[in-house]
Amino acid sequence: MIAFALRRLLFGLSLILFATTATFFLVYRDASLVTRNILGEGATQADLDARAAAMGLDRPILVQFLDWLGGAVTGDFGQSYFSTESVASILVSRVPVTLSIVAVGVLVSALVSAVLGILAAVRGGVIDRIVQVLSVIGMALPNFWVALMLVVVFAVTWRLLPATGYVSPAQSVSGWLASITLPVIALAVASIAAATQQVRGAMIDVLDTDYIRTLRASGVRERSILFRHALKNAASPALTVLSLQFIGLFGGAIVIEKVFALPGLGTTAVNATLQGDVPVLLGVVAVTVVIVVAVNLLIDLANGWVNPKVTLR
Amino acid sequence: MTTKFAQRGAVLAIAAAVALAGCSTGTPAPEDTGAADTEVVSAGTLTIGARVDNNSFDPANLEIGNRVQYWQPVYDTLIRLDAEGQPQPNLATEWSYNDDGTVLTLQLRDDVTFSDGEAFDGESVKANIEHIKAGTGQNRFMVEAIEEVVVSSPTEVELRLSEPVPPLVSYLGWVAGVQASPAALESGTIGDAPVGSGPYLYDAAGSVRGTEYIYTKNPDYWNADDFPYEEVIVRPINDVTALVNALKTGQVDAALLTPQVAGEVEAAGITVNTLSVAWVGWLLADRNGTVVPELADVRVRQAINHAFDREAMVTAIMSGYGEPTSQVFNTASQAYDAELDEYYTYDPERAKELMEEAGVDGFTITAPEWSGPWTNLFPILKDQLAEIGITLEYVTIPPDQAVAQALSGDYPTVFFPLASASAWQDIQTWVAPDAPWNMLGATDAELDQLIEEAQYAQGDEQEEAFQEVGTWLVENAWFAPLFRQDQVFGTNAETTVTMQAQNAVPSLWQFRPAAD
Repeated sequence: MIAFALRRLLFGLSLILFATTATFFLVYRDASLVTRNILGEGATQADLDARAAAMGLDRPILVQFLDWLGGAVTGDFGQSYFSTESVASILVSRVPVTLSIVAVGVLVSALVSAVLGILAAVRGGVIDRIVQVLSVIGMALPNFWVALMLVVVFAVTWRLLPATGYVSPAQSVSGWLASITLPVIALAVASIAAATQQVRGAMIDVLDTDYIRTLRASGVRERSILFRHALKNAASPALTVLSLQFIGLFGGAIVIEKVFALPGLGTTAVNATLQGDVPVLLGVVAVTVVIVVAVNLLIDLANGWVNPKVTLR
Repeated sequence: MTTKFAQRGAVLAIAAAVALAGCSTGTPAPEDTGAADTEVVSAGTLTIGARVDNNSFDPANLEIGNRVQYWQPVYDTLIRLDAEGQPQPNLATEWSYNDDGTVLTLQLRDDVTFSDGEAFDGESVKANIEHIKAGTGQNRFMVEAIEEVVVSSPTEVELRLSEPVPPLVSYLGWVAGVQASPAALESGTIGDAPVGSGPYLYDAAGSVRGTEYIYTKNPDYWNADDFPYEEVIVRPINDVTALVNALKTGQVDAALLTPQVAGEVEAAGITVNTLSVAWVGWLLADRNGTVVPELADVRVRQAINHAFDREAMVTAIMSGYGEPTSQVFNTASQAYDAELDEYYTYDPERAKELMEEAGVDGFTITAPEWSGPWTNLFPILKDQLAEIGITLEYVTIPPDQAVAQALSGDYPTVFFPLASASAWQDIQTWVAPDAPWNMLGATDAELDQLIEEAQYAQGDEQEEAFQEVGTWLVENAWFAPLFRQDQVFGTNAETTVTMQAQNAVPSLWQFRPAAD
């Protein structure tokens, strides 16, 4: 188990190095494009050159990259080209925003899809069909449309929840919950729809197996069969889907953060890309890779725990 | 494991339901961002939604446009510009030029202190101007011609110039006149921790960068009557739809919007305040005919001006929030002449006649095109030029490179929206031989003479001279302007505002509670 975790860690570090290197050379652009964005339409070439020199953008690209890499290894990700804020400080304030909506989104998705999936699998009939229709609709609805509808109904019309903004839980727990409720719902709808189908299918398969029939014949109570035996066996594929969704929701968060004006990683990545803010973009890429690798590792470990057939090597 | 998940999920669901119920009773905690906060926010707090985040509080890197919203609470300027853009006393109480306009003498207030306790005086003015000049910021050009700042006394300074700069006094109402504590300028931390003498103090501990910037009232401010709010909050929200929702629900009291959403917010009870700052249209950069010889003929450039149906564009593209025009200068500019707005009318027949007189039977021009707010306009422009025999070929470029590509000098013509400021600044940016937006370096001896006369004139004579430059540019069709674009600034029922000439957003002292 420890060797497995170490191997995954090493893999994760190589991935960070590869992803940030690729990002740097993909988004790197001529210094005058960056300084033009900073200094605006009226700047002369002399103004642009002076700014580039002040920022060190007139150095060869390889020198700039190695400079960044040397700093990053020691935890110094540099400073945004466009503000006085350090990349580390930007990440510290933006990561919790995205993690809030994605992690809570996954939790809500896990909970709701488990309930709906089991209900559909066990009850069948009309309930199954309703759940299936809702799942198809849920998967078909674009999350930005869901987000906009939620804002119109719950924020603008009924004034129940805020239309925009983020409140950190340190500031106010109820404010935090209010600020992430609509984004989480918008983010989770498609995820719930997909996971419900997964849980339903897995449960139907498991409930149809010989050992479940044997348990029933032995007089074990239905509730125990359902939750102690069937669900545990159906959980493995659902966990895999969940881990994929966690990563998928990070992508979805970009749109959701925009609709709700949440200052998260998605908004930061989009703005940094549009402006050519290379240091910020590299920081976002690095932290995203860390999160993705960590989540995959945790899901692998959880899979090994719920399913003895899985061996971690 | 699944059971544990379910338990945690249930707790969360209950908590969310409690929060939901709490909000619906209309009594959220003060720090909640719930829409029910509206009453609290508007009682003594002005919350402004800003389209861009702050970049820096360092005076050397301050910007005008949207970003004044971040620095005007903390910094005073030497001059204050009123709503029409006319200079009024502020930290400088009086000012005067010498005969040839190369020395500007300023009399200063003697009762102002910075928030670190340092007194404001002539030495502060010198330190601030030298700090901006030593930097590489966007507005360094405003102080570039100041060769020396001579401190005659604590309440008098002379700005000695290398050449006359007609809008220098106006510049002192913007970034060039910002006054920060000299000690703070040397501290190296002023980018994050502003120390000024302004009406508000920046609450760094309470603010969250990228989310909200909080400013509390400066108890020692010398001119408190002009700033009625106890607190000012600026929230960066760059998505217009999100900004509209924030305005509708009372999360912000005021915000810069776009013409496309003006109708929607008006229907929701938001007041739409408008003022035109930018012009939208063509820079006929190859007016000397270097790449496309036909463009050297003034009749061809005039024909291009007659080809466009400006009225229809304002209606269809701008939802009516704009004014057709044939000139590039804004209505508050010294060079503005109302009669020039309708100099070129939509007249394809006249355009064809002019082309015929010039002996031109159709030719091709290229221009950059990019996706964004003008996507719907590009095909219209192409069709209307085709009607008079000109083939317009677009080169598609990435939106983030629009400015760089437009300025590259690779195109004989460029369509662009450009903000107009003072006449002199506009001429230096678009018209002068070395202006960045005179991409192919076109020159004309008569025009150069008119510009020089305007630079050295003063008072009414200067205004007349600038208007002559404006007239010359229209008659010689150096540009093909289409319309002035209205800035659309929304305010809720609790807030009133007066728009600020020559800037995208109003200045802080233009805001008032509606009942005031």
